Amino acid sequence: MELANTLKQDGESRGGVLAQLERLETQVSKFHKKLEEPQDAQALEARIHELERLRDNLRAEVKQRQAGVKASTANVEPDQTLEISEQEILERKQENVKAILQAYRFTGISGKLTSRGVCVCISTAFEGNLLDSYFVDLVMEKPLWIHHHSVPVFIPLEEISAKYLQTNTQRFLFVLCEYLNAYSGRKYQADRLQNDFAAFLVGPLQRNSLCNLLSFTYKVKLKGQSFPFCARLLYKDLTTTLPTDVTVTSQGMEALPSTWEEQRADHENLFFTKPLHQVFTSFARKGEKLDISLLS
Amino acid sequence: MDSQRAKARALEAEITALRRACIETQAPEDDDSQVRKSFQETYQSDSEEWRSSKDLRSHLESLESELQFLSRLTGISIRNYCKKTEDLTSTEMAEKSIKKVLQRHRLSGNCHMITFQLEFQILEIQDKESLSSVITDLSIIMEPNEYSELSEFVSRAEEKRDLLMFFRSLRCFVEWCDYRKHTFKHFKEKYPEAVQLSEGASSSYMGIRNPSQPGFELVIVWRIQIDEQGKVLPKLDLLTKVPLQALELDKNRVIETAPLSFRTLLGVLGIEATLESLIKSLCTEESS
Repeated sequence: MELANTLKQDGESRGGVLAQLERLETQVSKFHKKLEEPQDAQALEARIHELERLRDNLRAEVKQRQAGVKASTANVEPDQTLEISEQEILERKQENVKAILQAYRFTGISGKLTSRGVCVCISTAFEGNLLDSYFVDLVMEKPLWIHHHSVPVFIPLEEISAKYLQTNTQRFLFVLCEYLNAYSGRKYQADRLQNDFAAFLVGPLQRNSLCNLLSFTYKVKLKGQSFPFCARLLYKDLTTTLPTDVTVTSQGMEALPSTWEEQRADHENLFFTKPLHQVFTSFARKGEKLDISLLS
Repeated sequence: MDSQRAKARALEAEITALRRACIETQAPEDDDSQVRKSFQETYQSDSEEWRSSKDLRSHLESLESELQFLSRLTGISIRNYCKKTEDLTSTEMAEKSIKKVLQRHRLSGNCHMITFQLEFQILEIQDKESLSSVITDLSIIMEPNEYSELSEFVSRAEEKRDLLMFFRSLRCFVEWCDYRKHTFKHFKEKYPEAVQLSEGASSSYMGIRNPSQPGFELVIVWRIQIDEQGKVLPKLDLLTKVPLQALELDKNRVIETAPLSFRTLLGVLGIEATLESLIKSLCTEESS
């Protein structure tokens, strides 16, 4: 039978469900054989009931699959030989718990127990972009100490641990998470500027490792004229991804014509309020003519 | 008899058709086979541990306690999680060794008293040099809804698809809510007559009055705000409720300037000390 072949081919990966189908098929073929022999009314009745039961089971099975729900072998009647073993339940629970442990990385802080404590993993992101992860291996002794970590040297880890590690481990992690995410976000913005908007830059983007001091010269066009501006962005608050100090100056020239002065002031404001690469996206979008309505 | 046989034949035909339908609805890449695949992989690596139900049970227990520990450490408790993966790599991409995968995640759990349900999609593109992972869709449902400050924050997080900021700010917000509740409760217990929590300890209002001088009332409004960057900041204000006569007698305009002085005091003494001094100053003549 064609169907039997299909069943056998996929048997490997389809496990219990196809085994169930095979059993159903065996039962049906048994009834097929009985069809050749003359039957008395009672036996025929019984067979019809059996077939109806099988058909109803299969209908339910198809319905469940079509609804996208995993077929539950709990629907099986007790006198059929398939049972859910306790093993399977435990295995599924284990799957579930393992998956949840993995999912913790989406909350920003996840971890794995170690023989001496816990290895905490801090994930970072900037808006929707998932970025680097950092780990901190904590040894749960008195006092708590950091065995090793992958936190960059310019992040004030010692300061943060000194303040919180012993008294409030949770707070230690939250604060470290803030610092790392902010650093990651600033780095992302600087990288995007360098890679995606090189056409706007005059000379290299100057940046420090903490990415909280950026200095660059860029050119924008207004009414056919191109004008270079020097920008200096300082992020004093290491837990933010927007600068605290922005200065945009004209390169060399003492006094700017009024339209350019307006532009300069607008740009300063933009750098304060929007992520760096998004400011340049808006510059690019406006193309030739820069619009003050960018501010609203 | 004939009709019965016909009925039996019809049933058999139906059964055959249903079996065929069963096999067809099992798509090549469905959850079931995914689960079994990862299941088999784990089996191979941990085959020692699966010898008996007992081993399995103790392993499960240790995993569950790890989960509890993580939930205490991070402040977030995840109760349910499932993931579906869709391979979007076209043959063109495969030739250039580019792999494109769309993941659909569903996560639910709680952070103290706030429960959340999240659905998000992550697009992963892997080429020879790098891997980029971007959240392409995020939807958040939160309960309870009474924290009005949260709904604006939630729409902002959804718009920016900033999943991690959502959790960072949520933790912070919940911590502040807890602190506010404890502070209000503490003062209510210390000065039961003077302090009024008309909307309960979980609300943003605390009233102070001197029972021997009805008509005078101070209301502390303590809001917890989340700014554009996801930073959580407490914002406290003082409202005064004073009878007209008293206002007229107030030559030094103490009552008028009270809200401003309140802010200054907050900056100097901090929240608890400021509230304490306010209560004490209003109730200096409190009869025992």
